Amino acid sequence: QGKVIIEEDQYVTADKVFRIIGEQTNYNFIYPKEFFKDLPKFQLKKGEFTVSELLDQILRRNNLDFSLGNNTILITESTLVKELRQQYQVTGSVKDKQGIPLAGANIIEKGTSNGVVADFDGNFTMEVSRPDAVLSFSFIGYETKDVPVGQNTEIKVQLAEDAQGLEEIVVIGYGTVRKSDLTGSVSQVKSKDINAFPASNVLQAVSGRAAGVQVIQNNGSPGSPISVRIRGTNSVQGGNDPLYVVDGFPFSGNPTQLNNSDIESIEVLKDASATAIYGSRGANGVVLITTKQGKEGKTRIDIETSTSMQSLRKKLSLMNAREYARFQNLQAANDNIPLYFTDQQINSYSEGYDWQDLIFQDAPIISTSLNVSGGNSKTRFSLAGGFFGQEGIIKGSDYNRYSLRLNLDHNISEKISVNFNTTLTHLKTERKDSGGGHRGNSMIGAALSAAPISQPYDENGNYTVLGNEFPFVAPDIINPLNFINELSNVTKANVVLSRLAFTYQPIEELTLKVAGGIENRDDRSDGYRSRNFYNSEGIAGVSTGQFRSLLSETTLAYNKVFGEKHRFSALAGFTYQDFVKTTLSASGVGFLSDEFETHNLGAAQNHNVPGSSYSKSVLLSYLGRINYTYSDRYLFTFSFRTDGSSRYSPGNKWGYFPSGAVAWKLSEEEFLKDNSLISDLKIRGSWGLTGSQAISPYTTLNQLSPGNTVFDDQLVNTFAPGSSLPGDLKWETTEQFDLGLDLGLWEGRMVFNADFYVKNTRDLLNVVRLPSSLGFTSTVQNVGKVQNKGIELGLDTRILSGSMFEWDLFGNISFNRNKVVSLYNGEDILGASINVLVVGDNATILKEGRPIGQFWGFKEDGYDEGGRIKFQDLDGDGKITANDKTYIGDPNPKFIYGLNSSMRYKNFELTLFIQGSQGNDILNVSSIPSTLDYGQGMNMPKEVLYDHWTPENQNAKYPLISRNVSARMSDRFVEDGSYLRFKNIQLAYNLPAGISEKAGFRNIQMYVSAQNYITFTRYSWWDPEVNSRGAGTQLGIDHYSYPIPKSLTVGLRLGL
Amino acid sequence: CEGLLEENPKSVAVENFYNTPEDVESAVNAIYTPLRSIRAEQIVILDAHSDWGYGRGSRAQYNDFAGLNTSNANAAGARWDSFYKAIRNANLVIANAPNGDAISQEEVDFYVAEARFLRALTYFDLVRNWGGVPLRTEENMQQGDLPRSTVDEVYALIVEDLRFAEQYLDESPRQVGRPTVYAAKTLLADVYLNLGDYEMALQKSGEVIRSGNFSLVPVTSVKDIQTNIFGADLLTSTEEIFYFKYSRDTDQGNFILWILNHPDTGHFNFGGAYAHYGDAANPFYTEWDDADLRKGLWDQVDFGLGTTTLVSSKYVEPAAVSRNDGGNDLPVYRYAEVLLIFAEAEARVSGGPTSAAIDALNQVHRRAYGLDSGMESEVDLKFSSGESARFLEAVLQERGYEFQFEGKRWLDLKRTGKAQEMIMKNKGLAIAEAHYLWPIPISEINFNGAINPETDQNPGY
Repeated sequence: QGKVIIEEDQYVTADKVFRIIGEQTNYNFIYPKEFFKDLPKFQLKKGEFTVSELLDQILRRNNLDFSLGNNTILITESTLVKELRQQYQVTGSVKDKQGIPLAGANIIEKGTSNGVVADFDGNFTMEVSRPDAVLSFSFIGYETKDVPVGQNTEIKVQLAEDAQGLEEIVVIGYGTVRKSDLTGSVSQVKSKDINAFPASNVLQAVSGRAAGVQVIQNNGSPGSPISVRIRGTNSVQGGNDPLYVVDGFPFSGNPTQLNNSDIESIEVLKDASATAIYGSRGANGVVLITTKQGKEGKTRIDIETSTSMQSLRKKLSLMNAREYARFQNLQAANDNIPLYFTDQQINSYSEGYDWQDLIFQDAPIISTSLNVSGGNSKTRFSLAGGFFGQEGIIKGSDYNRYSLRLNLDHNISEKISVNFNTTLTHLKTERKDSGGGHRGNSMIGAALSAAPISQPYDENGNYTVLGNEFPFVAPDIINPLNFINELSNVTKANVVLSRLAFTYQPIEELTLKVAGGIENRDDRSDGYRSRNFYNSEGIAGVSTGQFRSLLSETTLAYNKVFGEKHRFSALAGFTYQDFVKTTLSASGVGFLSDEFETHNLGAAQNHNVPGSSYSKSVLLSYLGRINYTYSDRYLFTFSFRTDGSSRYSPGNKWGYFPSGAVAWKLSEEEFLKDNSLISDLKIRGSWGLTGSQAISPYTTLNQLSPGNTVFDDQLVNTFAPGSSLPGDLKWETTEQFDLGLDLGLWEGRMVFNADFYVKNTRDLLNVVRLPSSLGFTSTVQNVGKVQNKGIELGLDTRILSGSMFEWDLFGNISFNRNKVVSLYNGEDILGASINVLVVGDNATILKEGRPIGQFWGFKEDGYDEGGRIKFQDLDGDGKITANDKTYIGDPNPKFIYGLNSSMRYKNFELTLFIQGSQGNDILNVSSIPSTLDYGQGMNMPKEVLYDHWTPENQNAKYPLISRNVSARMSDRFVEDGSYLRFKNIQLAYNLPAGISEKAGFRNIQMYVSAQNYITFTRYSWWDPEVNSRGAGTQLGIDHYSYPIPKSLTVGLRLGL
Repeated sequence: CEGLLEENPKSVAVENFYNTPEDVESAVNAIYTPLRSIRAEQIVILDAHSDWGYGRGSRAQYNDFAGLNTSNANAAGARWDSFYKAIRNANLVIANAPNGDAISQEEVDFYVAEARFLRALTYFDLVRNWGGVPLRTEENMQQGDLPRSTVDEVYALIVEDLRFAEQYLDESPRQVGRPTVYAAKTLLADVYLNLGDYEMALQKSGEVIRSGNFSLVPVTSVKDIQTNIFGADLLTSTEEIFYFKYSRDTDQGNFILWILNHPDTGHFNFGGAYAHYGDAANPFYTEWDDADLRKGLWDQVDFGLGTTTLVSSKYVEPAAVSRNDGGNDLPVYRYAEVLLIFAEAEARVSGGPTSAAIDALNQVHRRAYGLDSGMESEVDLKFSSGESARFLEAVLQERGYEFQFEGKRWLDLKRTGKAQEMIMKNKGLAIAEAHYLWPIPISEINFNGAINPETDQNPGY
């Protein structure tokens, strides 16, 4: 054998190599010309080589073989290629169940590396090596399907959406992970579920969809605030809502600017291993919202539109006119005052007027969105526009959202890419939720309390002044027409959320990401009370707020597989985020005309002192995470974040939040690897610390507020502290331990998840009430500890999966137990001050060993001989005092659950979505004035008339009808708030693929659905989903709240 | 980086305030805010406790003389909270002003005197309506748990504060509405009257009278009373000793118009809630001389409670800016009261009515008939020197006529021990023990560990 000398480094063609070899040796080459037609140039290094060495370099990697003869070298295809040569060509298509092409689906011949990708129309052509080859079809988000080729030359495959989704990608903090590699507890809700029925807030769509996540609606008004509790209530100082991160941007509050149809997925991070990367904001869990991104391929257009009609779920059964008059007379008789009505008058009344009819109406929702997405290998985009318009079931209330969104990805070069997300939203809402109050001094209160013998208008067409109608009617009551027609309260907001990220990948393993973002919200509220409002000269007020948050994030990620078995990834980063809020407000009183409304405050006769404010806080953070997987069986995650917050006292500004997690995939072990029953089994454990930023900026400073007083008939300045006494404050820290199990059976047809967790929150921040003689009524202190522990179970099954009929069932149930472990000095903290005249007291208590928000009051003990309510003298001192108060109810549910059943028969789909809460109590504050405040001329539910104490009916539900009622905050007002609700029932029809294609559409779906149409509850008032005081520590209080409606929807989804 | 985490709130804080006279003055001004905001309510509720006053709706319960029910106990609690907020603001001045770095000792003394005057006035309201209350001073303003002091201890602080105020306040007010040395003397006189120290009450009221700075406003008609003594346009009058000032500005006006007025009277441009009223059938009214102009401050309006219903027209305001914001000031001490305190103290010290005592009483009496208060007249009340009891009764009755809806009557009846007698006489009702003192509010009892709800609550609650 000869040697060949290469004199310098060079790039050459195969022909040139053969020529060099031929020139320096005597070899001739025999090979088919086309072998080298498409081959790239080879790099030859300077040096001396044997012929074999040279040929090895250039041939082996091209699947060619050679044999050296004496003077000839025969170049042939390698054995592998020879096999492939004996190919069978197969063509076909890959679509989903609706017949939508799955562009980019992978088709691989099993046991080989032979594979192709389906084109934009889902079509493919490939050659297989053997007639008995099996093709494996796969696509992200769909179940993989294996099809033997057999004698077929055309294979059409429909892939089912992947119920199990083990290879799905899950978004986690500052990155993504394969679902099967999760070590933490993360729930995912998909686009389809989020968009199942119209909702003004994306979080409404999460209710019942994710275990351990409780979605709490304050009331039914359009755009009403929504609270989310992940694994219970940790904090009593207010901050219990999770952190929302929208496309990587930690958002300042509830992301109301988003349109449901824009959302690709929502991930709920629950355990500390998942949330600790968000450090001081992770204690309440983290909700990651990912909007739809463009995909490479043909441009797609999706249009969704729906119309709903909402109505009041039920009316309360109130006394009619005749009953009302009789009832008032009963009171007069019992109080020994002259009767208000003669028998003749009573008999002249009949049904009278039901004031519920005055304020409630049937109201529509219109929702429309358009999404255009597509792109090529360099640039991908998703562009969307949407409108959501809801009118409320209380006249005059509405909520409108107009939104535009763009997500853009562009690869500047192989190593640098840029990603831009932006959402622009305009919100406009008119609020009509005057609730609460007593004796009908709020709109909703008046609708229940107004006398049925009164009418809304007098004979001159003016609003009746209800308090002047009869001498026995309390003057507080206001005709609801005043609120409906003469009071307006409009809020408009423009919200911008934008984020730009540059990604630089110098080598495949290393990714540097530099991102900057801005959240901006400008809002303006206009309130006007017209001259026609009861006792009004016209009051106009305008207030504006400007909120801005700037974000800067720099992260460096490293991913590497060492050997076969060690998968390692690491992340480090630095972030800065600030929050600046300014406000401005002005108002005026006394207008000559209503024409001005809020648009010319200068026209007012008197101007109030204008107000403005400023607040700023800053969060500085360093973060890091390491993931290590050994042999795909043992997974380890360690994360760390340190946050510095400006809101805390000097010396307490920095918090440190580590976490760690381990998971063991038993199903990868030899003993389970080929188990026919268990396809997946993983156990997980995690521990970590997270924090809460529960206080507002400047809470630790003893600020003085300005005001005015009068001397010489002139205003002069005053400066004094507010009513809250500041104190030195430090972080509230939550330590969480989680144990989880993921089990997949029968190739993932049934997936079962279970998690057990314990969360201990320490240095709890709380408003501590002070004796009012201090002049301060409250202060904030790090007072104690709270524990939440619970179990979450989820089951996801594909019961049937034929081509004609499919049935998927997804259910979850979560149990959480909350208790206050310790409080400052062991002292109880009373809360939820309720004052409705007939009763005025605190209704909740924080007490060691008991759950947060527990109702606190007296236990009733029947009636005395005069028909007055008696209370249990629990301390036995012969008197009823505050010491006789005890636990009278608990607003925390024993468990919450959701069940989604999705059935498909041919082109029809029936979806049932049930959601519920069990074992929670509601404190029905509405019923205190509405069933006990006698002698004020209030109308009341019929049962008060028909079941009150008389000498003949001593076991009555209500006491003697007398204005000297002995009411206290008692168990009488606590009701079972459990409910089971068909949140959504939907029947959808997908037009057969052929028809829609002919019409030029990719798919067409039409549906009708009903929301809240079926509800099982024993709660007596309008609706059990109610939280007049929000979701803090005053959960489950109903005080003349705007009720949640039921609604009927028809909709259309088009794809093209 | 650490600098980014410092808070700069763009506002002032306790730690960096109270340095200049302007700082301290604005802090003193803040003492007035809570007191002014509840004065109207305090007045009308006290008068609903009297032998001539009535409340409507939830306020009807005050006339039952059975103690306060929950809603009215809570309303009393809200007034308690405001009183203590004023005390806190006063204590902040008393504690911090002496440490100011740009204020003279003279200014410090002056502002501390004003703060102590207001603190004394507030404790005087508290002690008469709640009894011995927790005594918050600059010494214990941070201490959460503080037991009730005795009535004597409260009065001791009041006297001490007023002695200081009397020494350092100005002779004439820097701005109308600020207390003067004479305001301090008048308040002291009233305090001494309540303490039964008639010598001192006589001395202090005498000092005010002898200063010659004050005189009764002459009137000849009901309208004169409404306009020249209580009118919404008045800046001040010769009769003003110490008033809370209100102006026709949103949140800075007087709320009493709305509480008292009835839309039919036309005395108030925002109608009114007529939450408090009188009764023409009540002996207090029937026995009242029709020639007394003050009787004309009642209008008969039947709004559903009978033809004898009376609605007050003492406060008239045709140009309020909202229903809460009339321009009328609320008198705390008028010169008329100084004269009547003097009359009573003089008679008690001398063991019977002296001519000075009788003259002081008659000055007030004559003016009420539209006569010159300085000239003897046919309406003059006459007493022989031995008629001590009759004279004191006459003074008490004169106060009853003169100070309607100024919140004096119930406290007078309690002070003189006549409450039960007069309530029985004019309303025919027995007074429950619980009615004499309002309950210590839940907002105090629940959060003050030094007050035992069992043993420290006022009788009957």
